[in-house]
Amino acid sequence: MRLGLKGRFVAFVVAITIAFGVVLTALAVRAQSERLRHELIERGKLLTTVVAANAANSLALLDVGALRNLIAEVRDQENVLGVVAFDEGGRVLTDGTVENPLRHTLIDEAVRRHVTVSDTLLVEIADEEMAVTAPIWLGGRPLGGILIRYSLADLAHDQAVLARRTAAVGAFFAALAVLAAALLTEAVTRPLGEVIQAARALAQGKAVPVLRVRSSDEVGELAAVFNEMTRRLRETTVSRDAVDRVLATMGECLIVIGADGAIDRVNKAVCDTVGLAEGELVGRPSDEVIGAPEGYRSLTDAVDPQGPVHGLEAELVAKDGSTIPMMVSIAPMASPQEHSPAFVVVASNLTERVRIERQKDDFVAMVHHEVRGPLTAVRGALGLLAGGVAGQLDDRARELVEIALRNSERMERLVNDLLTARKLDAGKMDFRMQDVNLMPLVEQAVEGTSTYGARHEVKIFLDGRVDGARVWVDPDRLIQVLVNVLSNAVRFSPRGETVTVSVARRGGRLRVAVADRGPGIPEEFRDKVFDKFTRAGDEGWRHQSGTGLGMTISKAIMEELGGGITFESVVDTGTTFFVDLPES
Amino acid sequence: MPTFSRASTKLALLVVFLAVPACGRAPSGDGQPEIRQSPAPAGVVILGSVSLDPGREYEVFRPFADYLAAHLGEVGIGTGKVVVTDSLSRMVEALRRGTVDIYIDSPFPVAFVCERGEARPILRRWKRGSETYHSVVFARSDSGIESADDLRGHVIAFGEPFSTTGFLLPKATLVSSGLKLVNYADSAAAIPSDQVGYVFSNDAENTLFWVLKNKVSAGAVNADYFAALAGSRMDELRIILSTEETPRNVVCVRSDLDPEVVRKVEEVLLAMNDEQLGQKVLRDFEQTTKFDRFPTGAAHDLARVHQLLAYIEEDVGQ
Repeated sequence: MRLGLKGRFVAFVVAITIAFGVVLTALAVRAQSERLRHELIERGKLLTTVVAANAANSLALLDVGALRNLIAEVRDQENVLGVVAFDEGGRVLTDGTVENPLRHTLIDEAVRRHVTVSDTLLVEIADEEMAVTAPIWLGGRPLGGILIRYSLADLAHDQAVLARRTAAVGAFFAALAVLAAALLTEAVTRPLGEVIQAARALAQGKAVPVLRVRSSDEVGELAAVFNEMTRRLRETTVSRDAVDRVLATMGECLIVIGADGAIDRVNKAVCDTVGLAEGELVGRPSDEVIGAPEGYRSLTDAVDPQGPVHGLEAELVAKDGSTIPMMVSIAPMASPQEHSPAFVVVASNLTERVRIERQKDDFVAMVHHEVRGPLTAVRGALGLLAGGVAGQLDDRARELVEIALRNSERMERLVNDLLTARKLDAGKMDFRMQDVNLMPLVEQAVEGTSTYGARHEVKIFLDGRVDGARVWVDPDRLIQVLVNVLSNAVRFSPRGETVTVSVARRGGRLRVAVADRGPGIPEEFRDKVFDKFTRAGDEGWRHQSGTGLGMTISKAIMEELGGGITFESVVDTGTTFFVDLPES
Repeated sequence: MPTFSRASTKLALLVVFLAVPACGRAPSGDGQPEIRQSPAPAGVVILGSVSLDPGREYEVFRPFADYLAAHLGEVGIGTGKVVVTDSLSRMVEALRRGTVDIYIDSPFPVAFVCERGEARPILRRWKRGSETYHSVVFARSDSGIESADDLRGHVIAFGEPFSTTGFLLPKATLVSSGLKLVNYADSAAAIPSDQVGYVFSNDAENTLFWVLKNKVSAGAVNADYFAALAGSRMDELRIILSTEETPRNVVCVRSDLDPEVVRKVEEVLLAMNDEQLGQKVLRDFEQTTKFDRFPTGAAHDLARVHQLLAYIEEDVGQ
């Protein structure tokens, strides 16, 4: 039979109480018995001593009649079994009766011996009898003695009575102890039972009642803590449910990979994307579901322990074996249970984007083939016309031809920029990196822009120089960037102003600064400077022939070259662009 | 009409049941019909005894006196009294003056008073089943004392001074044999060779142990007790003298007591052991067995007592 806490506690208390009670009772009875025994013995010794003292004279005179009368009184004492007076030879003189059946009999040898050598009491105890012998000496010689036998039967009776009383008292207190134990355990287990019921309801997912905190002791504290736990659990459940809804609702795929490389969890987007149920995905090696990005053996190889890695292109394997292009971000996730971290993968479906990129590529290819060629032919023809190949043109015709020529040149630049931007976006632009001297490139860019500047009546002045500074770049692309920046500076400088170009070393890098005294870049436009096709609608901006792609292309090129491009601008004062490069 | 509960009805009946018998009962202390008794005879019978413990003696004699008186109505006696004197001479005086009618005692005191003419013996009193007793004189076997004559120069222990078998009879017998017995206070006293010293042990057991332990050379005790007293040490003792048997106890009456009363007293005493109440009174009266007449007449049966009395008259008259 299984005992609950209450039963065990009560059983424990009962066992302890019984054991304790038995031991105590035994000790008490023993102690009391010893005390009674001692009292009885002492009483016996005292009586015997008194009788012997009173009998001494009669014994000395051999007045057996007087001894008889004396002993006759003692015989009637409580617990006295028998009394004899005996002479120095150990022969009984009288037993207190007239009949005196013990007359002349010899007392015990040991007693006889004792009285002849000692005047001290001799106490002999056997079973339920005690014999006390008081030797009587006179003038240094033994006369005999008094021997009184006492019954200790009453002692046994008294002991039994005492034991019964003690046991009764013990049983009473044991019953009280059991009752107290039962009440105490009830006080403890009842609240515990409520906690157990509440915990059971919690485990079964049922409504959990709020426990009443009846006391400030440990049980009350348990109830209060349990209430707090269920409250937080309820909040956590709500949060988890919300998180689950978010994960189920989000369009991006979420995959959690365990430290062992197997899939721990996936969201609905993953299941919808690959066409498999969560149960079919969880537990599978992640390599079977997610292909490795280019340059890595597996997706988890691309993990950076310092933080998330974004922009990885990988493929999900669908149920039918087809692959789905994904843009993946992966980050390590510390797991308290595992020594190795788990991984969180967020992936966006690139299928549409790939289609769009393909469309863009198709468009660019179309522009390249269908627009640029004819445009080049148009510009060429117009150039010939402007050059008088077809004869002198009148002023009006010349003006119209120059307008057409400028626009065709602009169209060509636009097409070239579009192609360049597309190549950059697609990562298909070739860079021929070389270790070259920087200053010649800067000078080349300045010279290449001077004609443009002259046309706008803006001078370009090369102020600072770092001769001998070398850089690891594609020279043509760097010149392209510098020319673009200079062109913008010229474009936005007032007539008659100067665009200043300076080269300097700055924090281990080389900086080419191009400063104009133009209207400056409005605050609301500054974070769009490098965006595509972004042009201010402000009247202060002159957009002579910009395509809106120049800064975008320049920024992309500088990033590919390992540098960067930034600017500082003050409205109505001017703007300075900084082209930074690492010095090789 | 009021109704009564069953309980109240029962109670009423109970009261009636108890009340009815009480109505016809005559007031009486014990419920027995009263019997008119004739007044007790005015005569008194007085029993006398000699003792140094009058209170105890009175308690012993009183029931016997009452019984006797209760049966002497025929002779005009209705009351019994007890008179205790502290000496034999006073008893003689009491008998002379008529303040004692009946005197019961051991043979020597009775013989003493009878010789003074103040009383005459009428019956024997049996005690503890015997009508006579005698004494033995004994010594240690290894004492060298083999006869009474060997007691000269030695000390003999007697019991109590008033004891017949413990003192009077053995002394009288020893003196009658020609020995001169002299009372000594100390048993260790040096006794002249022509005397026999004697001391009182006051107890038969004392006498025995004194002889065994050589405190005295010889002792005298009631022959009925000797064997029990000697016990396992009988072989250490030797009886050197055994006295004659004497009546154990004698009933004597005042010499001038009405013969009719005497006759009636005899009749009552002789019949006492024939009826239950009489037996009880006898038992309580010092273990008396019965009373009977002297087999060969009081004079004859007490002749030797009178003879021996001459040797111990001074001792008896104490």
